[in-house]
Amino acid sequence: MPPAPLFKPVRDVVTTIRDDGSRRFLFPADVSGRFARARRVVAVGLIAVYFLLPWIPVGGYPAVFLDVAHRRFHLFGLTLAAQDLWLLFFLISGLGFGLFFLTALLGRIWCGWACPQTVFLDQVYRRVERWIDGDAVQRRWLAAAPWSVSKLLRRVAKHAIYLVLAIAITHLFLAYYVSIPALWAMMRDAPADNWGTFVFIAAATGIVYFDFAWFREQLCIVLCPYGRIQSALTDDHTLVIGYDWARGEPRGRPAAPGAGDCVGCDRCVHVCPTGIDIRQGLQLECVGCSACVDACDEVMSRLGRRPGLIRYDSLAGLAGLPKVWLRPRTILYGVLLLIGTAVAAWSISGIRPAVLGVTRMVGAPYYVDGQIVRNQFLVRLVNKRSGPAALLVTARDLPAGATAAGLEAPVTLAALGEELRPLIVQLPRSRYTAPFRFEVEVRDPAGTFTLERSLEFLGPESFFDAPAASGPAAASVPPPPAAPAATNPHESPAPHA
Amino acid sequence: MSQNPNPLPTDPSVRPHVYDGIREFNHRLPNWWLFTLYGAIVFWVGYWSYYEWFRSAPEGPQRVAQAMNQIEAEKLAASAASHIDDPSLWAMSRNPVFIEAGRQVFTANCIPCHLQSLRGKSENPLAIGPDLTDQIWIHGGHPTDLYRTVTEGVPAKGMPTWGPILGQKRITAAVAYVLSHHQEGEPIIDAASLPAPK
Repeated sequence: MPPAPLFKPVRDVVTTIRDDGSRRFLFPADVSGRFARARRVVAVGLIAVYFLLPWIPVGGYPAVFLDVAHRRFHLFGLTLAAQDLWLLFFLISGLGFGLFFLTALLGRIWCGWACPQTVFLDQVYRRVERWIDGDAVQRRWLAAAPWSVSKLLRRVAKHAIYLVLAIAITHLFLAYYVSIPALWAMMRDAPADNWGTFVFIAAATGIVYFDFAWFREQLCIVLCPYGRIQSALTDDHTLVIGYDWARGEPRGRPAAPGAGDCVGCDRCVHVCPTGIDIRQGLQLECVGCSACVDACDEVMSRLGRRPGLIRYDSLAGLAGLPKVWLRPRTILYGVLLLIGTAVAAWSISGIRPAVLGVTRMVGAPYYVDGQIVRNQFLVRLVNKRSGPAALLVTARDLPAGATAAGLEAPVTLAALGEELRPLIVQLPRSRYTAPFRFEVEVRDPAGTFTLERSLEFLGPESFFDAPAASGPAAASVPPPPAAPAATNPHESPAPHA
Repeated sequence: MSQNPNPLPTDPSVRPHVYDGIREFNHRLPNWWLFTLYGAIVFWVGYWSYYEWFRSAPEGPQRVAQAMNQIEAEKLAASAASHIDDPSLWAMSRNPVFIEAGRQVFTANCIPCHLQSLRGKSENPLAIGPDLTDQIWIHGGHPTDLYRTVTEGVPAKGMPTWGPILGQKRITAAVAYVLSHHQEGEPIIDAASLPAPK
């Protein structure tokens, strides 16, 4: 049974969806050329990076290890804690501005060259398909052929490999979140021991398999929001893949008089992975894979004509107008990207491996104990590192006569640990005149970082408070102890809350 | 794009409405797209039956209560002892494990006022906290009084309310450490029973 004749793409229907809503599967032809080679190099490099990142240790951790269970995020030696989650703002806004800028300048360079969907589909899954089912013509004939032992074996083999690849991809994806050793340990356990993870991996494998085995270009055409906002991000000077209409038209046989360079061989249509005819202009479906560029260049060189009938160019460039790189759009996106990058770098450089928080202890804001004014604080230290840390806490800028108790010894924190320490600051009442500020500083003994918090020392309002008086000061502050709480214990017990 | 080689054909399947010059084709949705809708409807039937028809799952407030009970149970399990009384505190004060744990809690939190020696104002009259090793106890003469004093604090004097900060387990250990400086049965005087000083 011969396959159905090739569909001629038109702009008012999606090639891959038939009139009855069913799917029209594509069998894109093989293509070779400079962009195909370059894309393969880029894809192999990217896949190597994807696969190696969880394996390369940087500073004792995998290069990228998003340790969700412990809320620690290791990125190339930088360890971020849950307290640093606000930096995610820069990741998301940076991705946004970066994509805006890149798109305004270079169009869908991401889709065609770097998106994991394209990379894995073109360089992994389609290659398996090519290896098992043959080239585009053979694949079309096989798809139309009735079921036979040979066809069944090919289908089983192909989908088994698809499934294995999907399992590998999802496991690698999981390794980013649990690290390779933990992943390996879980893989050797029974599924019931890590039931939630197992179900997640099974579901993710199913999704990846479905995506690459069946869904394919539908993701780019229908689901992916990035493709849908292209028309808002690009303009006439954005680099896109386009057809040189003036040079190509009217189409005609090579020897035909008055004909343009396009010979109407439809090679650009046959190689298109989303099933469009690029000669009909820029379309939503185009993911910028450059297969048609290579295909057309090959035909042109065989005919002895200049390459570039289909090429990377702007719509203005294709129309013969000069290309403008600096445009309000690219300048705005570029400036926003630069500002975002600068602020992000500044913020990341401010990340310290510990957190210092100081609060006033629950109770009165100050105590008057005999001739001493006392303020009580609670120092909270969090060690964000994954090893133990000893931190020195000191109080600075205290006036003469003031003493701070509670910070004499270094505070030892366990890995990722949190400790609370009381900080008692005392000042002779005779020296107290008005509230003053002082600093609490934390540093590690090696002196690699310091953290500071400013605190206010409070005391009785001297205006209301005669030097010898022992009564409560102002109504706004709780009454200090009426009698000096001296050494004698024969005082009445304070009422409990 | 005035050079468009394939101008839009006039198609009978174009919908009648026009918005800003934009018209819409009347193509079928992809079948796989429709299947997601049908799948959602099938899921809804099962979901609705489970929760609303058969009421197989507990109601919202019940589930909240269950979760709260679970949290409460875990908190209790994590605490050292669910029941604290004088004999159990005395027993802990003889246990080297408790004493060591308590010493660490004490060192971290209590020595700014009560000093490393526990002797507070007896060692240094300028110290903030009272002596914890003498036999005159200010806030009650029993280990449970001591436990309560630490947990609730004495806000008027500056003794912090340690309960929410340290938790039952560490407070118990600290109390055991303080009690390890005493002997069960020693003549402890409750300061409240003494006549008020001049």
